[in-house]
Amino acid sequence: MIVPASTVLGLSAVLFGIGVFGFLARRNIILMLISVEVMLNAVNLSLVGLGSHFDDLRGQILALFVIAVAAAEAGVGLGLVIALNRNKPGAGVAELTQLKW
Amino acid sequence: MTLLTGAFYYMAGASVVSALLAVTRRSPVHSMLWVLALFLHVAGIFLLLGAEFLAAVQILVYAGAILIFYLFVLMLLDLPDEAARPPFGAHWPLAAAAGLSFVALAWLADVEMLAPAGIGVAPVATSIETGPPQGSLSKIGLELFGPFALPFEIVSLVLLAAIVGAIVLARKRAAGA
Repeated sequence: MIVPASTVLGLSAVLFGIGVFGFLARRNIILMLISVEVMLNAVNLSLVGLGSHFDDLRGQILALFVIAVAAAEAGVGLGLVIALNRNKPGAGVAELTQLKW
Repeated sequence: MTLLTGAFYYMAGASVVSALLAVTRRSPVHSMLWVLALFLHVAGIFLLLGAEFLAAVQILVYAGAILIFYLFVLMLLDLPDEAARPPFGAHWPLAAAAGLSFVALAWLADVEMLAPAGIGVAPVATSIETGPPQGSLSKIGLELFGPFALPFEIVSLVLLAAIVGAIVLARKRAAGA
């Protein structure tokens, strides 16, 4: 391994923090979902880094499952965005104040 | 500092910068393109960490499929005035505080707790083994169809449920339904 595992974990923490900020601060629902993808990527990074540190393949397998679940999340999330957009054009979350149409 | 270590630090810096740009750009399409840069750099880090298959999956599935899907939906929604509106809600300092405190906490845990436990130390170089290297396709395939066969099948069910769910959610309601 070319760098210590703690360096990879630190990078992963920084990326996750950026994702948290993006998810909480953006007003556009698609960019909030993209921030979730950034967070998932950070988690994958820490899984791969630790797997590489312990010379264990399970980290990579878990990261693979995370990618699969991220694909599912993107599909359902964007389906919801399209359904929302049909009822109320635009992608701002601040305008979504009704519980029911 | 060897060439590979330098490459790692370049990838790390570039991914942090592109993630920051991705969450702060005004235009959603620019954000997406910065996320693409982030994904490619993370794939490079995977390569450096010895996860070749995962690097390929990252580029094919994440950059190639998921991100393009996001871009398609973004184009479909047609948000002409999006770039003119403020990108952040009024509460963005709170969000920044949340992100920063998460980074501080995780970093502290990393330095204070994992390093004494030996995680922070670079492991001694393992002797060159015979057989395919770690992270190669054949090793991952054997794991996936051996001990991880059941989770693998469950993931395929999750994807099927997501496909059906996405169709049900996004389709046009029939009149009166």
